[in-house]
Amino acid sequence: MRLDRLCRAFVLALAFCAVPAFAAAGFELPELMALLAKQKSGEARFTEQRFVHGLEGPLDASGTLSFDAPDKLVRRTLSPRVETMAVEGNTLTLSRGGRNRTLALDSMPELLGLVEAMRGTLTGDGATLQRYFRSTVSGSSAKWTLDLTPLDSRLAAQVRSMRISGRASDVLGLEMEFVGGDRSVMNITPGGAVAVPAGAPGRTTP
Amino acid sequence: MTQQQAGGPPGWRRRAVVLLAWLLVLLCGAVVIARTQIGADLSAFLPKSPDVRQRVLIEQLQSGVASRTLMLGIEGGSAEQRAAVSRAVAKDMRESKLFELVQNGDVSDWSDSGTWVFQHRYQLSPGVNPGHFTAEGLRDAINETLSMLGTPAGNVIKPFLDRDPTGETQRIAMELVPASAPRSEDGVWMSRTAPRALMISTTRAAGSDLDAQAVAIARVQSAYAAATRDMGADAPKLLLSGPPVFSVMSRDKIKTEAIHLAVVGGIVMGGLLLLAFASPRALVIAFLPVATGVVIGTASVSLVFGSVHGLTLGFGSTLIGETVDYAIYYLIQARGAAVAGTGWQRWRDQNWPTVRLGLLTSVCGFAALVFSGFPGLAQLGVFSIAGLVAAALATRYVLPMLAPDGATGMGMRRYMAQVAGALVRGLPRLRWPLAALGVAALALVLWQGGHLWRADLGAMSPVPKAAQQLDEMLRNDIGASDGGVLVVAYGDDEQAALRHTEAAAARLDALVDSGELVGYETVTRVLPSLAMQKARIASLPDAETLRASLEEATKGMPLPASRLGPFLADVEAARELPPVQRAELAEGPLGPVLNTLMYQRPGGGWGTLVVLHPGAKFDQGRLEAALAGLPEVQVVDVGRELASLYQRYLHEAFVQVLLGALAGVVLLGIYLRSWRRLLAVCQPLLFAVVLTLGGMAVLQAALGILHLVGLLLIVAVGSNYALFFDQLRTTGRADEDTLASLMLANLTTVVSFGLIAISDIPALSSIGRVVAPGALLALLLSAAFARSVGPSKASRGS
Repeated sequence: MRLDRLCRAFVLALAFCAVPAFAAAGFELPELMALLAKQKSGEARFTEQRFVHGLEGPLDASGTLSFDAPDKLVRRTLSPRVETMAVEGNTLTLSRGGRNRTLALDSMPELLGLVEAMRGTLTGDGATLQRYFRSTVSGSSAKWTLDLTPLDSRLAAQVRSMRISGRASDVLGLEMEFVGGDRSVMNITPGGAVAVPAGAPGRTTP
Repeated sequence: MTQQQAGGPPGWRRRAVVLLAWLLVLLCGAVVIARTQIGADLSAFLPKSPDVRQRVLIEQLQSGVASRTLMLGIEGGSAEQRAAVSRAVAKDMRESKLFELVQNGDVSDWSDSGTWVFQHRYQLSPGVNPGHFTAEGLRDAINETLSMLGTPAGNVIKPFLDRDPTGETQRIAMELVPASAPRSEDGVWMSRTAPRALMISTTRAAGSDLDAQAVAIARVQSAYAAATRDMGADAPKLLLSGPPVFSVMSRDKIKTEAIHLAVVGGIVMGGLLLLAFASPRALVIAFLPVATGVVIGTASVSLVFGSVHGLTLGFGSTLIGETVDYAIYYLIQARGAAVAGTGWQRWRDQNWPTVRLGLLTSVCGFAALVFSGFPGLAQLGVFSIAGLVAAALATRYVLPMLAPDGATGMGMRRYMAQVAGALVRGLPRLRWPLAALGVAALALVLWQGGHLWRADLGAMSPVPKAAQQLDEMLRNDIGASDGGVLVVAYGDDEQAALRHTEAAAARLDALVDSGELVGYETVTRVLPSLAMQKARIASLPDAETLRASLEEATKGMPLPASRLGPFLADVEAARELPPVQRAELAEGPLGPVLNTLMYQRPGGGWGTLVVLHPGAKFDQGRLEAALAGLPEVQVVDVGRELASLYQRYLHEAFVQVLLGALAGVVLLGIYLRSWRRLLAVCQPLLFAVVLTLGGMAVLQAALGILHLVGLLLIVAVGSNYALFFDQLRTTGRADEDTLASLMLANLTTVVSFGLIAISDIPALSSIGRVVAPGALLALLLSAAFARSVGPSKASRGS
């Protein structure tokens, strides 16, 4: 077993789930990016279902997402357990079980690739996005999908593809397919986040 | 000069005995030197009886991981080339077995560590506590693990799901990943600011074993050469830094410089002596006391301290300037005997007492250094005393055997004597202006006060600025520049040290949560104390209880309890596992981590190092407050401790130098038995010191400890001049040849210290820059303040 891969994988797990909840429109990548770039910050709620081979039934999770341009991204899972993953600049902070862990993003390049792609999508930075993924835009500005395939071999060894979908300026969904056949589907509802429950002691929002 | 001397030249039997004895002593000295190890670490200039924090610091500097850490940069070329060189060099270094740890960001060989951690997860995981295995605790932990399935991490977690559903392995793994690591690119570490691959390694050999460090460095260089052989001109360059590089570089530089100075000094001095004596024989004889002094001085330091610091060796070259004076005095003053072969007896009776008094005054001065609490300074003291005494004895006993009547030739000395005579006649007129200048200099020195003594410990380091900047650059890249704050815990035995470390870690956790630290590294993550391991194992329930809790916890979960049989078996097996011991860990894949963070203290007991990764909000005061009340845990601020050490060092040196000077004055007083004469002897020395300091203040030089040693040397050298003028005054004889001997002795001193003053080694140049002008001033002032000693018209000799 490889300790490094375990850590990376663990971090990736949290990072990858924090994805756009925000606006977009357009046929091609530049148009889509131009639309997305207008949104400087946003909040959303999400529900997530993951389909894992060998488990009896899907895994459910829900929580909130928030983004502040240019580089701050927070995913807060409220159910089944409270966890926060926050990225700001080159720093990734994980808060779970009352403890904080901090990591340098660029010391884990595949993770950096993911996070930069997320931020690239949210800030409408197509160039950054294309540095890490092969992208295909389809549909219309009223209902579009952005398909991404990792370029980095390390990331490609774990993630087969991801699909971000939206309507007009809203990002509404994120689907990921992993090497091995597992899958996750996230539905995003843009707008004010639900109030954070009081029962989250020792939790800080970085 | 008219007095008839009894006796004659020494008999051949006596000559043979003296010369043989002298050669034997020299030979013994040479043998001792040949077996001597030469050190170069600055820690020799750290105190012997430090306080708790200083001891911790010194342990780290002398033998801690810091002293064994090499930092490498591979700069230029293409990114692929840099990564390839980094991998090739790392591979070669790992294969060499010279290095304990080689990190270049490549983590592909961590699998052994992962397996070991997996096997011992219930002893190591911070999550294991009694609540963890209740139905509720299990549900929470399993949910945490499940939250990673169906994510990019899923494929790595899944194979271990049945055996480790509570995720202890990833909990440990997450703790072991450093919070701040260099950027990774192509699987190796790269700088965030420059096209540079980075590596860090620790040598197996102790930091003080310079020969082994030199071998390790050479291995890195040859690995680099092999890796870039086929890359041509645009191959990436190798940058190498760290304490081992500095130590080896310093040693080599000091060695070369000492030899270089000795050779150049010898040639220049030889030229001067040839001009003065016009006799190669006299030249050879003049160098005998010098050689004796250097050999005996070095050998004595070696015998007393076990090794010789490079700086002491460099200092040895300064001794040439002083010891050659003895030979000059003898060779000139033993001349002109009425009966051939009796010059040495007259010199012994008339001049030796003065030379001896000058010697004793110098010895008094340096004796103060011997008792210094700083081994480096004590070495200089022992070296000077042994060297001066040996040189004086060689002059007194060996030279008469070889040149009973001094040197024969006259050379250019006549002109020297004329210049000396003019000076001696003219200078007294300048007495009052010189005195006024001295008072002004004193006022300046007093006004500047502490500001004048602002050089620090680093100013003594022979490591060039460029190398220091390279070091800082690589440190910044690697993230090793953590503000220089260390936390060290210690105990009488391994377990006590580990328990104290755990207590410190618990308090550091709070700082991590508040964001003051982004993380820290501690050995207790891979080697918890036995007490901690026992508590964890004790919180593992028996198979039946666990089975029941697990049934309840997994109710309604997509992961049925029926799948988790391997988990039950592993927990049951863990209850019987022997605790993780240091020895076992040291043999395993995590041995390097252990050896980096835990060490046996030189004075007994064990210590552990907690490496901090400070966050943006880091505050040393709050760190110290958080760890307050843990007496076996120390926060060591390397920069601050070094600065305070140096201040203590400087203060101690001041006291010692003053005591030494005082002892010299008392000695002179006892010998001269006259306040007036004592004053006359001390006056020029005092003014020479004050004027030198004044000059330094005007030039805005930052003075340090070695300038202080230089001042002591001014007094030691100058006392000879002052005493000669005192002798001339009482005997009323001031023949030109004696003045010429003083002039020549002074010239050689000023030249030899002048050469040292332009040395690249700061420690040597500081001494030279003080002593060269100081010695000249001492002679001129001795002449200026001397009363009625103008040379008589009837001169002797020639």
